[in-house]
Amino acid sequence: MDTLFLMNSMWVMISGVLVILMIGGFILLETGSTRMKNAGHIAGKTILTFGISSLVFWAVGYGLIFGEGNSIIGFSDFFYSGYEVEGLGLSGSVFFLFQLAFAGISLTIAFGGFAERAKLSVYLIFALLFSIIVYPFVAHWIWGGGWLAEHGKQDFAGSTVVHLTGAMAALAATILLKPRIGKFNKDGSANNIEGHNQVFTALSVLLLWVGWFGFNAGSTVSVDGAFFGFVALNTNLAAAAGTVAALLISWIVVGKADVPMMLNGALAGLVAITASCAFVDTWAAVVIGLVAGILVFYSIRFFESRKIDDPIFALSVHGTAGVWGTLSTGLFATPELATVGEPGLFYGGGLAQLGVQALGVAASGTFAFLVSFIILLVMKTAMNGLRVTEEEEIIGLDLSEHGSYGYPELVNNEAAKSIKNANNTPSPLAVQQSTVN
Amino acid sequence: MEMKTFEEISEFRWKTINDLVLEHENLNKFHDVIYGYIISAAISRLTLRHGKPPSPFCFFVMGSAGRLEQSIWSDQDHGIAFEDDSKHHLTYFLHLGSEISAGLEQAGYKKCSGDVMASNPLWCKSRAEWQQQVQHWTSTISWESIRHLLILADARPVFGESSLLHLIKENTANSVKSEKLLTRMLENTMHSKKGIGVLGQLLVETHGPFSGCINIKETAILPFVNAARLLSFYCGIESTDTRTRISSVPDSIIAPQEKKYYIENFNALLSFRLAHALQTDYESGHFIRVEHLSKEDKKELKQILKAGKELHDKTSRLIERRIQ
Repeated sequence: MDTLFLMNSMWVMISGVLVILMIGGFILLETGSTRMKNAGHIAGKTILTFGISSLVFWAVGYGLIFGEGNSIIGFSDFFYSGYEVEGLGLSGSVFFLFQLAFAGISLTIAFGGFAERAKLSVYLIFALLFSIIVYPFVAHWIWGGGWLAEHGKQDFAGSTVVHLTGAMAALAATILLKPRIGKFNKDGSANNIEGHNQVFTALSVLLLWVGWFGFNAGSTVSVDGAFFGFVALNTNLAAAAGTVAALLISWIVVGKADVPMMLNGALAGLVAITASCAFVDTWAAVVIGLVAGILVFYSIRFFESRKIDDPIFALSVHGTAGVWGTLSTGLFATPELATVGEPGLFYGGGLAQLGVQALGVAASGTFAFLVSFIILLVMKTAMNGLRVTEEEEIIGLDLSEHGSYGYPELVNNEAAKSIKNANNTPSPLAVQQSTVN
Repeated sequence: MEMKTFEEISEFRWKTINDLVLEHENLNKFHDVIYGYIISAAISRLTLRHGKPPSPFCFFVMGSAGRLEQSIWSDQDHGIAFEDDSKHHLTYFLHLGSEISAGLEQAGYKKCSGDVMASNPLWCKSRAEWQQQVQHWTSTISWESIRHLLILADARPVFGESSLLHLIKENTANSVKSEKLLTRMLENTMHSKKGIGVLGQLLVETHGPFSGCINIKETAILPFVNAARLLSFYCGIESTDTRTRISSVPDSIIAPQEKKYYIENFNALLSFRLAHALQTDYESGHFIRVEHLSKEDKKELKQILKAGKELHDKTSRLIERRIQ
């Protein structure tokens, strides 16, 4: 077996592992940015839905994306059995695993919009449906030889495919679920429902940042010319620029060096460079990251002002930054690096590539939003609502959906207090506790 | 005018206060009048059950009431000092403290969340015990004791024997001259919320029911108040209101022109608050909705904030320099 084949396989395997570790990053991100009473539920459902996503990807997802078919969808290679793929410079099962990880990440992003109020059963069913009729279409269009690929759309590691798709599903969910109890006041002003652990959130960003080297640099799916090093370099620069930009803009505009905002800036930089990491120069990576850090700040304020409750800022970090990242190659792609599509506007490519990028974003974003919205709307009717009851939301989804708290010692006392304050009628919590004690 | 019940006083307060809103001095005199009525009514009520006050005493107010800087809404901060040291007297005056506090609450003065009230034994003591307590506070120099001393510094008698309070405060002023205590007071109060951003914009609340409002208490009032209070310790000034405190600073420390500048800005701030704060309840009285301000108003507010910061910084430098 030739060395390049083995090296490619080894590198992509490592990358795949890094991307799967990003699920751990999302667990910390989502739990750290939300309240204690939901922490066990959020951590647990993230692992569970990755499990569902993996099975679906094996059964049908891979075939729908990479199978033989038309420009809209593939339709072969279901129940992938580990065979080698002709013309692929690496092990077929390694490539499969790497792609499976991406599908899992997109779904995890989508669930950011469900946080702290959706029923567990909603997670299970949406995981199944998203993995069959949302993600595979967009992935096929851009990466599986579909109509956007033919168009020359540049999305190296998935600003659109993975991040925007996930974010659009999150948007559909957060609109249908409506804001969490206590997020908005009667006069329309928003309250800050603070996350319970900024250390988790910061660690999550570091874990994601490192995982992103697998996500982006691994998307070379080859060690040829050690190009993955350049991709990793751009990735790191954009993340760094996003971090600094978000902190500065927050300090300048609201007078606060806001830690969660800075962390969102790092992630926005990473999301934005995902599309363009292989097509742009290092200075452009810095600019793309800086702009992403600023955009995420205004985007979070925008969604909040529209009374859209986005608990972990998935819409801004993955959606807004995903759109910007995809458009950015239309501006900054250099003639030498644009192996797909054309150079960007600033390199004499005119508006052509920018137009292709914009069309790709619009088509993929609209598709992902509409289909997710319809799926969730049908589920809402069929399942008698997507959301837990008010009572359950107050006691926390740890208890209502799983029967025990992630932080039992602390939350039992707190929840008992808030129930007592909220009303004086016996609550499920009180019942639960009386049977326990 | 004779008003016997808390209900009558409360009714009178709400009927009258709206006519005073744009005039700061009258408003504060009016608050004192209401306090007087409430205290008299509370004493009458207590006399029926427990007899007349068993000893001369002084009821004093602290916080914004002590400084004569109350807005329409104000909370309660008060204490009692009584002459004769006995357990029976303490019980009586604690009762009186509770009565007054209940009456004030009924008249719209929110109870103090930190329990700085004459119903709390910490703030209701005989003269001798007060002296001991102050002695204890000035010698411990903990975060808590410093806070207590700063609160007591704004005490002003409103009923009874004012000499009782005077003696306690004199005692405090003498003890606070130690440099270590002044440094700790500086550290305790010299952190304030920013009101103006790096681009020169007004910084507003981004979340909660006061989104879009500037917190005028924390960004504007406190820098003036805290600085003036420290100056009064530094220079041995007895007055409790910020303007008199500033004007009493010797010319050798702050030039007359400069003092005038600070006082004018503080006056403007008090009027500005009366004119623009939300005033639907105690808490909202600290907030001003920035989008409702005209261009000139915003300019004026920025100037006030700037002057507050200048006084704040100047006071820090003065005290730090002396310590070095």
